[in-house]
Amino acid sequence: MILRSHVLSMVLYAAFVSIVLSFLRRDDRKGRLKYGLVMFAVMVGGAVLFGWLMYLFTL
Amino acid sequence: MNQYRLLCLRLKIAKMSSAMKIKGVAMMVLSWAVPGLGHIAQKKYLRGAVFFVCIAAMAALGLALGGRIYPAQTENPLTILAFFADIGNGLLYVLSRFLPIGVGDMKLATFDFGTAYIAGAGLLNFLIALDAHDIAAGTKS
Repeated sequence: MILRSHVLSMVLYAAFVSIVLSFLRRDDRKGRLKYGLVMFAVMVGGAVLFGWLMYLFTL
Repeated sequence: MNQYRLLCLRLKIAKMSSAMKIKGVAMMVLSWAVPGLGHIAQKKYLRGAVFFVCIAAMAALGLALGGRIYPAQTENPLTILAFFADIGNGLLYVLSRFLPIGVGDMKLATFDFGTAYIAGAGLLNFLIALDAHDIAAGTKS
């Protein structure tokens, strides 16, 4: 079985989505890189943040 | 301002010739069937190749992780949303109806992630198909 790690799966998912969205939303190389990196950081950072937020409310 | 933009968009659509409209729809269908093909057909080689690699990799990973491609069914209403996402995968979805792929293995710990990968690939492919349509229609470069 591949990708046992859920974190790795999430990071890879965010990377693919960021690449596709950056190519859809921006036309120049620099803009794509910046947009892609920001999207990736927001997705991964948001997931980690949300994960810790849920940890606070464990039963 | 929004009304002005809407008016501009309506004027642009009205100006589109019927040949451009047909081309736009054809590119959209092409891009839906095989991700990126609509862009490659319009000589946007890099964009098309990137879209194909990303969507194909996501769909392949989803299948390898034991994800499920949901058919149209009304027994479980929640799966209707998954069906609409999965249908974005184009030919892969059509093939999954005839071949034993995307059956899904709920016993696997990666089942949920696999299903999310396949659904994500389908949703992104909808955006890619719309982008191919916009390029063909001349509303985007």
